[in-house]
Amino acid sequence: MKKNIIKNALVLIAFFSMSFTFAQAKKPTIMVVPSDVWCNTNGYMMVFDNQGTKTKIPDYKKAFQENADLLLVIGKINTMMAERGFPLKDMGAAMKSLESESAENSMLTSKTGSGVVENPIDKLKKVAKADIIMQLTWTLNTTGPKKSVTFNLQGLDAYTDKQVAGAQGTGAPSFSAELPVLLEEAVLAHLDNFNAQLQKHFDDLFANGREITVRIKKFDSWADDLETEFGGKELSAVIEDWMAANTVKGRFSTTDSTENMMLFEQVRIPLADANGKSIDARGFIKGLQDFLKKPPYAITNKLMTKGLGQATIVLGEK
Amino acid sequence: MNKKLLLLFVFLIAATGINAQQKKADKATEAFRYEIECAGIGTDGTYLIKVWSYSKNAKFAVTQAKKNAVHGIIFKGFSGGAQGCVSQKPLASSPNIEDEKADFFKSFFADGGDYMKYVSESSDGNIDAADRVKVGKEYKIGVIVSVSKDALRRYLEESGVVRGLSSGF
Repeated sequence: MKKNIIKNALVLIAFFSMSFTFAQAKKPTIMVVPSDVWCNTNGYMMVFDNQGTKTKIPDYKKAFQENADLLLVIGKINTMMAERGFPLKDMGAAMKSLESESAENSMLTSKTGSGVVENPIDKLKKVAKADIIMQLTWTLNTTGPKKSVTFNLQGLDAYTDKQVAGAQGTGAPSFSAELPVLLEEAVLAHLDNFNAQLQKHFDDLFANGREITVRIKKFDSWADDLETEFGGKELSAVIEDWMAANTVKGRFSTTDSTENMMLFEQVRIPLADANGKSIDARGFIKGLQDFLKKPPYAITNKLMTKGLGQATIVLGEK
Repeated sequence: MNKKLLLLFVFLIAATGINAQQKKADKATEAFRYEIECAGIGTDGTYLIKVWSYSKNAKFAVTQAKKNAVHGIIFKGFSGGAQGCVSQKPLASSPNIEDEKADFFKSFFADGGDYMKYVSESSDGNIDAADRVKVGKEYKIGVIVSVSKDALRRYLEESGVVRGLSSGF
């Protein structure tokens, strides 16, 4: 009898802990990044020759190594976000970790002397990234002896390129305050409003599903294309039907569609699958991958993802 | 004996009057009959605000200011302006929460309730002459208070009144 009670209690505990785990959605990562405008204004840009065109890109490493004000602002934002129970990914630390990982990969060998494989796409993807980028810009305004700071914080969804939160404004002019003090005041004044908008974005995510972007492409070695008909229906229409059936309330937009590619934006996916397991873009689009692999389509395809919200299926080969 | 009865009678009338005034002040709070303006950028985790409260008795307007301040931070927010102030949204995302969680807020805003933990007067009880205005039969009193908004938000999140930023993840 006693054994039975303990057994039942254990089953109940396991059940509740599983439901709790499954009820959680995948948490997006957030990282503060100095904007291109700020990097350009403060001389943290690299210039390279892109097939005859001089192109400027931000030199984040130099900015993090040389600008103490940048570290102060990012540190303050990170601290305040951690207090809200949402610790952020630190860009400086992420860049260092990528560097050390590259060094480790180049030195790593198995007992038989094999090295770690990395294709060009893997190399391209090795950058500090997050699901939501907090893009930071500030400018110091001076009018005679008075100084003030104009502060601009934009929360950008890395996959949909939408601004999901923001806070902007100019602080009170001061005769005596130092720049770090003005910057700290700006963060204190603006971060709550930023978080209020971020909270609205998360509420929308829980109510209407996560918004992702899906791309369909084809390898040139594949003889068919998206206009190939299956049972009198073009493949592009078949894929659209699958999207309509599997998205939350059938919400998605077919932004581009040709015989070689399709682009779906504003695709609203559920936060959990039919089994209650939390899913992201990869988990969602895996369903489409399996659907296309099965007859009557029997299309071999390759699935690639970027973070929680971007997925690409390339048809024709692995 | 008669003197004692008279004293008791006077005491009862005074107590009833005070109670009635407190109830009136609480009703004014519930009806959002107060104004909040920013009084500067507070220290980390706090809002520094000036609360304008109304009462026939100036003393009540001062004591009610703390209750109004916390009520305003939760349900009303405040607009920006001078001193580098930025408009702030209320902690509650929906104004209906006050009705939905009526039991919680009744005890929270009771006299000596938990709201007292999150607010403190910044002016040591001294009211500037310009912040004491007679409007008709009432006083409009402005009191500068500091509200520990981070601690208040955490308490409301733990009590399930507002959602935390990482709730659901």
